[in-house]
Amino acid sequence: MTQQIPVTVLTGYLGAGKTTLLNRILTEDHGKRYAVIVNEFGEIGVDNDLVVGADEEVFEMNNGCVCCTVRGDLIRVLSGLMKRKGKFDAIVVETTGLADPGPVAQTFFVDDEVKARTKLDSVTTVVDAKHVEARLDDSREAREQIAFADQIILNKTDLVSEAELARVEARLRGLNPLAPIHRAQRSNVPLGTILGRNAFDLERIVDLQPEFLNPAHGEPGHVHDEHCGHDHDHDHHHGHDHGHDHHHHHEGARGHAHQDDIKGVSLSLERPVDGNKFTAWIDKVLADQGPDILRAKGIVDVKGEDRRLVFQAVHMILEGDLQQPWKSDERRWSRAVFIGRNLDAAKLREGFEACAA
Amino acid sequence: MTAFAFDAYVTAALFERSGRAAFALGDGTVRFETGETVEAHPNGSVQCAAPHPSGEGVVTGGDDGRLVWSKADGAVELADARGRWIDAVAAAPETGLIAYAVGKEARVLDAKDAAFARVFAHERSVADLAFDAKGRKLACATYGGAAVWFARIAEQKPQTLKWAGSHVGVVWSPDGKFLVTAMQENALHGWRLSDAKDMRMGGYPAKIKSLSFLAKGMLLATSGANGAVVWQFTGNNGPMGKEAAEIGHDESAMVTRVSGAPDKTVLAAGLDDGRLWVADLKTSKLERVKAEKGAAVTALSLSPKADRLAWGDEDGGAGVLAVAV
Repeated sequence: MTQQIPVTVLTGYLGAGKTTLLNRILTEDHGKRYAVIVNEFGEIGVDNDLVVGADEEVFEMNNGCVCCTVRGDLIRVLSGLMKRKGKFDAIVVETTGLADPGPVAQTFFVDDEVKARTKLDSVTTVVDAKHVEARLDDSREAREQIAFADQIILNKTDLVSEAELARVEARLRGLNPLAPIHRAQRSNVPLGTILGRNAFDLERIVDLQPEFLNPAHGEPGHVHDEHCGHDHDHDHHHGHDHGHDHHHHHEGARGHAHQDDIKGVSLSLERPVDGNKFTAWIDKVLADQGPDILRAKGIVDVKGEDRRLVFQAVHMILEGDLQQPWKSDERRWSRAVFIGRNLDAAKLREGFEACAA
Repeated sequence: MTAFAFDAYVTAALFERSGRAAFALGDGTVRFETGETVEAHPNGSVQCAAPHPSGEGVVTGGDDGRLVWSKADGAVELADARGRWIDAVAAAPETGLIAYAVGKEARVLDAKDAAFARVFAHERSVADLAFDAKGRKLACATYGGAAVWFARIAEQKPQTLKWAGSHVGVVWSPDGKFLVTAMQENALHGWRLSDAKDMRMGGYPAKIKSLSFLAKGMLLATSGANGAVVWQFTGNNGPMGKEAAEIGHDESAMVTRVSGAPDKTVLAAGLDDGRLWVADLKTSKLERVKAEKGAAVTALSLSPKADRLAWGDEDGGAGVLAVAV
C-alpha cells in the first residue's frame, strides 16, 4: 500500500506572515523535504526545485452537491508531484490571502487519486495579532480561514499588549473552539509542532491536549461540567448582567460589539448513541445545513461497539471511521463540535441527544 | 520479455517509428530500451511525453518548464516556459507540429520550422490536448468544455464545445467526426463535431485516465473500470444509443491504462495491481501477458505494428514484451 503524503494547507490574509513561515520551512534544517505549492512565485526568495507555482482555479463538481467546489489546479499539481515520489516527504499548500479555504480542503476528500495518495494533515491559519480583529470585522474570508483551521498561528504577538492578545484569542475561540492557538513572533513557531501533526486524527488531539474540546477554565467557550470542580459564582463578574447561565459563552471586552456570524457549537453526551440514529442524524444535518457548516468533528461512543467512531466533515462531505478501542478505565462519552453560520445550538443539541441508544 | 527497474515513476512508455521502445520517467530522464539514458530534465520530472513527429525520439514536458526532444544520442531543448509546468504534450507526424500546455495556453511548434510559433489562450487551464488524425486541428480540454483550433492559424476564434465540469483528457476519433473528453467526474463526454451534439458516456467506477481508439476508429477503449470499457464508434451516431462492453473484467483490480492497435482489434490493458493483458476483441481471446503483480501500471503502449508492448509502473518497473495475439 502506497503511503499517503501529509499535506499542510497554509491560509491567512496578506501580511499575516505566511511567506516568512514558508521560507523557514524551505530553509531550516528540520530533516524533512517539503514540496511547496505557492500562488505567488516571486514571494518565495528561495531557489528550490520543489517550489511549485499554481493558479487558484476553483471548479464545481457535477455531483449535485451544491458546496462541492475543488481546486482543479491542485489536483493537477498533486498528481504531477506524485511522479516525483521519493523526492519529498510532505507537501505544503499556500493559499492566497483572500481564498475561501473550503475548496482547497474539499479537494482532499473529493478526488479519488488525491485521496489515495495524500492526506490533509492540517489547515493552518496564520493571523497577525495586531490586525486580525479589523480583518475579521470586514472580511468573510478571514472569518472562514479561522473557522476552517485545525490550528491557528497567532503571529506578531510582540506588537500587542497581553490584554489585546487575550481579547484576540477569545474572539478566535468564539469562531473556532477546536483549533489550538500557537502564539508566535515573526512566525517563530516550532515547525515540529505545526507540521506533521496528524490534526485530522481527532484521537491524537484528544490524547495530546484533553482540553481541546473545552477551552481552559476562565476562557470563553469553556463549558462547565462536573469536571470543573468549583462553583460558578466567580464567573459572574461582568459589569453588565445579561442573565447568562452556566453554559453561556463568555465574550471578551469587544465580544458583544463584534458578534461574528460564525460560531462553534460543542455537544456532548454521556450515554452511548445508537449508531443508526446517529448516522441518520448527521447525514440530515449535513444535507440540510452543509453550506453553512464549515467544519464538524467528533468522537462518538456507539452502543455495542468497542471502538470509538471518529468523524469529521467539511461542508457536506463526511468522513468517519472506527478507530482504536476505548480503554477500560476511560470515561466513555461522545463529543462533537460544529463550526459554521446560522447554527441553532439548541436544535443541534436536541438532535444529538435524541441519538442516545 | 525485456524488463527494467528504473527506480522512478514511469510517466510514459512509447515507441519510435523504428519500433524501439523508450520510457520517460519521474526522475527527468528518458531511457531507451537499447540502454541509452538521456537527462532530459535535470532536477525535474517528466510530466508528459509523446513520440516526436519525425518518428525519432521522444518529446517530453517537465516540471522544470522545459519541452525537450530526447534522441538516443542526446537532448535538444525545444522550448522553455520559465519554470511553469508543462502538463500535456501532443505531436502530429502528418504535419510535424508539436503542441504543449502551459497553464491556460496551448502553444504550438513546428518541428521543421524553428520560426513557427502559435499561442492559443483559454480562460481556464488546459489539462490535455490532442491533434486530429490529419494533424491540422488541435483540441484542448479545459474547465467547462473543449476548444478546437486550427493549429497553424495565428488569429482565430476556436470552436468551443461546452459541457459543465472539468475536462481532463481528450481524444479525437480517427475520422475526425467525434471528440471525446475524460472528466474529473467518473465519466466521458463526447461531441459529434458536425452538429456539436452531446454524448454522455458514464457509469464508470473510477476516473478515466487513458483512452485509445483502435480498429480503424471503430472502437474506443478506456480505463476507469474493473475491465477495459469499449465503446462502438460506427455510423453517424457513434456510441449514441449503444451499450459499452467491458473486456477482461476482474473484481480484484482496476484497469489504469489501455492501448489499442490503430488498424487491428488488438487491445492491451494495464491494471492497478501491475498485471497486463492483451486481447483480440474479434476472437475474444485474452492473454495475461504479465501475470505477476506489482505496482500500478502508469504507462502502456502498443508498437506501431502492434507486435510489441511497452509498459511501466509507478515504482519504476518497466518492460517490453512480444505480442502474439
